[in-house]
Amino acid sequence: MDQASVAAPALLVPMRRERWLRNTLLGLAFCSPLVLLFLLLVLYPILYMIYMGLDREIYTDIFGDPIFVQTLWNTAIFVGFAVNVKMVLALTMSGLFSVENRFARILSGLFLLPWAIPSLPGILAFRWMLNGQWGIVNKILNDLGFAGYPWLVRRPTALAAAIVYHIWKYLPFWTLIFVAGRRSIPKDLYEAAEIDGTTPLQKFRFITLPMLRNLYMICSLLSMVFSLGDFVIIKIMTGGAPGDSSHVLATLAYRYTFLMGKIDWGVGTFITALPITLLFIFILICWVK
Amino acid sequence: MANHGLLWRLPWIAAVCVALALIGPGLAGVAGAGEKPKLVVWWNKGYYKEEDEGMQKIAAAFARENDVEVEITFTIQDDLGPKITSALIARRVPDVAFCFFNDFHISPRFAWDGRLADVSDLIADLKPRYIESHMSTGRLFSKPENKWSYYAIPIEAQALGTHYWKDLVKEAGFDPDPKKIPMTWKEHWDFWKKVQINLRKKDPAKYGKTYGIGMTSSSRSTDTIYNFEQYLLAHRGEVISPEGKVIAGEAKNREAIVKVLAFFTSIYKEGYVPSDALTWTDGDNNANFHNKTVVMTPNPSISIPGALFFTNKDAYYNKIGTILQPTSPVDGKGYPYLVAVKQVIIPRDSKQQELGKRFVKYVLDVKRFTEYVKASNGRWFPSFKDVAADPFFNDKKDPHIPVVTDQFMKNETRPFYFSYHPAYVQVYTENVWGKAISRVVTEKWSNEQAVDEAVGRIEQIFKSWK
Repeated sequence: MDQASVAAPALLVPMRRERWLRNTLLGLAFCSPLVLLFLLLVLYPILYMIYMGLDREIYTDIFGDPIFVQTLWNTAIFVGFAVNVKMVLALTMSGLFSVENRFARILSGLFLLPWAIPSLPGILAFRWMLNGQWGIVNKILNDLGFAGYPWLVRRPTALAAAIVYHIWKYLPFWTLIFVAGRRSIPKDLYEAAEIDGTTPLQKFRFITLPMLRNLYMICSLLSMVFSLGDFVIIKIMTGGAPGDSSHVLATLAYRYTFLMGKIDWGVGTFITALPITLLFIFILICWVK
Repeated sequence: MANHGLLWRLPWIAAVCVALALIGPGLAGVAGAGEKPKLVVWWNKGYYKEEDEGMQKIAAAFARENDVEVEITFTIQDDLGPKITSALIARRVPDVAFCFFNDFHISPRFAWDGRLADVSDLIADLKPRYIESHMSTGRLFSKPENKWSYYAIPIEAQALGTHYWKDLVKEAGFDPDPKKIPMTWKEHWDFWKKVQINLRKKDPAKYGKTYGIGMTSSSRSTDTIYNFEQYLLAHRGEVISPEGKVIAGEAKNREAIVKVLAFFTSIYKEGYVPSDALTWTDGDNNANFHNKTVVMTPNPSISIPGALFFTNKDAYYNKIGTILQPTSPVDGKGYPYLVAVKQVIIPRDSKQQELGKRFVKYVLDVKRFTEYVKASNGRWFPSFKDVAADPFFNDKKDPHIPVVTDQFMKNETRPFYFSYHPAYVQVYTENVWGKAISRVVTEKWSNEQAVDEAVGRIEQIFKSWK
């Protein structure tokens, strides 16, 4: 055994360490802008918000506001109905658009239109259609011999209008996701089922549904997180009317912060929803893993 | 090795970046040391382009004459209000801010927090020119300084008038002359009901959806507050005493509030007010009036006829009438008009407070401000007697502007309740009266229950402002 062959492994260790260090430092250098942005724009505001929200008096004040508890309910109703109805419909519709024929393709193109329309004109169009005096919905009802209804002047129908708009607007997007999900299911599963003489409903129940289960859960949770912070629909559609009875947390927090100048109340409103949001995110992460 | 070289250069590059970041602002300061002082002005966008052009000219002249730079931006009130609020909270402020929402939402709140500069010296200079009730709205309370002082500069105002379509009144078989409209309380409101009934009888197809009264009754609109509190004065009721105490719960005042609420909810439930009035925003009564869905509407400025001045002179001069409010139902006498006085503020965190005051004083010069306020075509009434003396505000050929001039100059006027206690801005923002109307109409509460909730909430709000 000569001296060179003994020294070689001893030299290799520092070389490897140097290479590891070099690669790590280089990697950190390239990542640092993103890490810095994350710390500045995500972590710092969240921690600061939580710090601001530690004052217990805020919660005494906001729960003392007669509309706050109703707003919590509204948010739960809005998110619960809008997301679940939308997801069930999206799953159902995705079956139609998975059919491979020309008509289905044209229909799916048209079906995407609401998603492509910008929110503001869409919501305003809904609002005008539901106008109690000259809206087209009441016009049609009147022409058919029924009395009109002040849709946006009653809390249940005002909230329902916001939910219907949400479904109309976002149904195409989630349908598209489920269409992609359906297309990833191996066809031979369906062929085997057909040989066994299964009905379409059985195919859906025993193949499609189990195969899309994870995707469905992830999409539902994601949609719930998005919808919890939805501001534009309620702000433009009802503005909280009638009598502040249709606010959701996002619109109420906006009012507290920017109209009343009470940033602590705005923060408190979001902190109230934070446990639910974090729970959704936690379940989502567990599910994905 | 290229990689190796880059690796060892990185710390140096990073160090240079950090050094630049640290000394950069200082270098910029040195470089800018010879530059002119800069005044940042946020101004509410006018309803007519002439208003903005006029203000731009004034700002340019001020910059030229004082050898300073003036950066003026115009923003609509719905965006400017939240922008000023955010700036004051974040303490990154403009030097001068004028927003139509300052009086209702911003000045009392941020004066209370000690975020506004004391402008008493400027007010003292302007005092001989001011209409007293307008000037008093700038006097606000600062909690850190524990004193009342002038923290806002009132410049122009609005008060509640009523507009109506003369042609619809005529069509209903009545004389549309403003002098012939009944002005005692009961007869006044019965008149508009009769107009609706007659119109619908005459041509059900054409007037089936025309309403006699365009009364804004929503929690989304500041007009609801104007209407409610103005009619509360008509019923001789008060919410707050001049000392800033809540007196709405006192028997006499509670009874008056119940009566006013009953008035609002009864005309709505009887079908004389469009059903959607419960969701109207500030512009919706204007829109409903312009498309003739309503025969009349109470409105806190003459924006309704003003909108037609340039486009439809016939409507402005001949088809729309402007009147004031009917007499008190309690004693048949007149009562004070509530004036919403729009204010300029100078944030305490501004580094150019003195320059800001000079700028405001320059804007409020009689000649300059007369031209500016005239460009709003009568929407705003000046807070200064010398400006109000301009023939523009007294032109008897105009069917609308002199009515407003009389309202301000010949009638008693008084400020809204936030001048008595800043906590009342929260009452306005929460729009307790709009909410009470909704409770009765949509949730079938009794008027008494809704009033008790509203009064309870006002008391609760006041307790939290300690």
